Amino acid sequence: MNENILSIRDLVIHYETDEEVVEAVNKISLDIKRGEVVGLVGETGAGKTTTALGIMGLLPSKVAHVVQGSIELEGENLLKKSNHEMLKVRGKKISMIFQDPMTALNPVKTIGDQIAEVILLHDHCSKLEALKRAQDMLAMVGIVPDRYKDYPHQFSGGMKQRIVIAIALACEPDLLIADEPTTALDVTIQAQILDMMRTLQKKHGTSMILITHDLGVVAEMCDHCAVMYAGEIVEYGTLEQVFDHPKHPYTKALYQSIPSLDKDVERLHVIPGLVPDPSNLPSYCSFCARCTEKKPECAEHDPWITEVEPGHTAKCFKYTPEWEAK
Amino acid sequence: MENLIEVKNLKKYFSTPRGTLHAVDNVTFNIEKGKTIGIVGESGCGKSTLGKTLMRLHTPTSGEVLYKGTDIASMPINQFKKDYRSHIQMIFQDPYASLDPRMDVLQLIEEPIKVNSKHLGKAEVTGKAKQMMELVGLATRLETSYPHELDGGRRQRIGIARALSLNPEFIVCDEPVSALDVSIQAQILNLLQDLQKERGLTYMFITHDMSVVKHISNDIAVMYLGQMIEKCDAKEIFKDTIHPYSQALLSAIPVPNAHSKQKRMVLKGELTSPIDPKPCCRFAARCPFSTDKCLAEEPQLRLIKPNHQVACHYAENFTK
Repeated sequence: MNENILSIRDLVIHYETDEEVVEAVNKISLDIKRGEVVGLVGETGAGKTTTALGIMGLLPSKVAHVVQGSIELEGENLLKKSNHEMLKVRGKKISMIFQDPMTALNPVKTIGDQIAEVILLHDHCSKLEALKRAQDMLAMVGIVPDRYKDYPHQFSGGMKQRIVIAIALACEPDLLIADEPTTALDVTIQAQILDMMRTLQKKHGTSMILITHDLGVVAEMCDHCAVMYAGEIVEYGTLEQVFDHPKHPYTKALYQSIPSLDKDVERLHVIPGLVPDPSNLPSYCSFCARCTEKKPECAEHDPWITEVEPGHTAKCFKYTPEWEAK
Repeated sequence: MENLIEVKNLKKYFSTPRGTLHAVDNVTFNIEKGKTIGIVGESGCGKSTLGKTLMRLHTPTSGEVLYKGTDIASMPINQFKKDYRSHIQMIFQDPYASLDPRMDVLQLIEEPIKVNSKHLGKAEVTGKAKQMMELVGLATRLETSYPHELDGGRRQRIGIARALSLNPEFIVCDEPVSALDVSIQAQILNLLQDLQKERGLTYMFITHDMSVVKHISNDIAVMYLGQMIEKCDAKEIFKDTIHPYSQALLSAIPVPNAHSKQKRMVLKGELTSPIDPKPCCRFAARCPFSTDKCLAEEPQLRLIKPNHQVACHYAENFTK
């Protein structure tokens, strides 16, 4: 059996409008092993959510185009599947937790019905049995099962996010994509939700892609970490490799720009400049304009992904043998 | 050092169909001139209401707010607007929602100057607005841009320019960086610190992010359900966290370090309702250490160590 549950190869996703082509995801490759949690980190517009929607087959069909690449789930290319076939994958094999629990739930349906909906769709069982299982799911995420008849507005933000998680896990998916699952929540509630997600993930052995901009959340939840910048994965490695020995200049700069609880600094480090416009990306290194370690070469060619140490890659010329000579 | 702001027993209640909502309940604190006080707490703890009440965007239910010794909480609102509004300004949380989408950058910055300095001519107003743009680092070419064309960091700079254009002495910063990405957040925090040094500004910095508040503040006050439950020096609270809620709040922050396997204090349940609260410790329902005394008697903010106040019956047991 293949140990990778999901492998993405050279994925390119563009949004095309009348005026411009937005290059949201540029040739990313990523493997997710069984039972593993991979963190996808990056700032707004780095292409994290587009990647997730691409895996789910939920990209807005009128404007978004998968230009090239493949997304294989257990050896089957998801991009080749028809809409009808994808319905059987979504919710059953791959589930997604969306960022904002306030808008992810249907306000006019009871939460019991919303959880049961997924179960009815995938596991052909009676309505009664589905509702029974919905109540079990509620108990699992720490909500009194009797509240299955309540509507979303009767719950607080943290509880709504628990319900969204219950829906995502209802059919025991093999892969869970969590898109900023705790960003809309307060820290003490975030701690509760992360705690619960970790317990459930360990218990069911679910593989998970955790999308976040919070490096603290990654440190707490993930085994591997991929840093995205301008639609590319610029650094990938185990949590220890990326956090203890960041290699890519962007990752390093990102660490220095967060205020730390342990250290006192007079001024924060600032990454000069702005993220490049995704409708007008350079043909060379996209971080070049903001990089403090660049050499003339960087503004001529696009760097390739180099293995810095076993299992740790960076997309930067600095780690090629020719760097010192330049 | 003299106090610029003295807040005494400030209360702001809202009447709702279900009862009286105690948004800010009996809060007392001082802010020294040129210093920054950080107000921390979760959503619904009353930190934004406190900021807006100091600004007189809400009329206080009772209590005093002394600005350089004058009570600005009880004076008629017209007098406040005429004499004090330009001294006390606010930077709002969401730079996507707080700017009029139909005004360009220059118009947005001119607006507060026009409203508050009616004697100035058109050329003077424009000159001053351009000066402000330069001060906060907005390029001249952006003068005719509209907010939707700019990124979050630049929009927040417009918000800062608007607040500063009236030469205020005191600025309430209501979560000014929480809608921004980390690399942009660092730029804005540095800008706020530089402006404070140059102009001797006094800040009240409202945020839910402990690492941001530690970086920027001199003093920190933790709020829970409308009350101030711990107040001390910014460095002190990380060394000796006394109130159980502050302990939980600090331990809940995910640390960006691959090896920190800190013991976390996960709180059970969520905020209780701030509507008609019972006269007991408001944190008692979620507190792992609560006793009968906590449910019977409301703890007052009291001095436990020099410059360290805590509202907990058992504060002595928790201090290091």
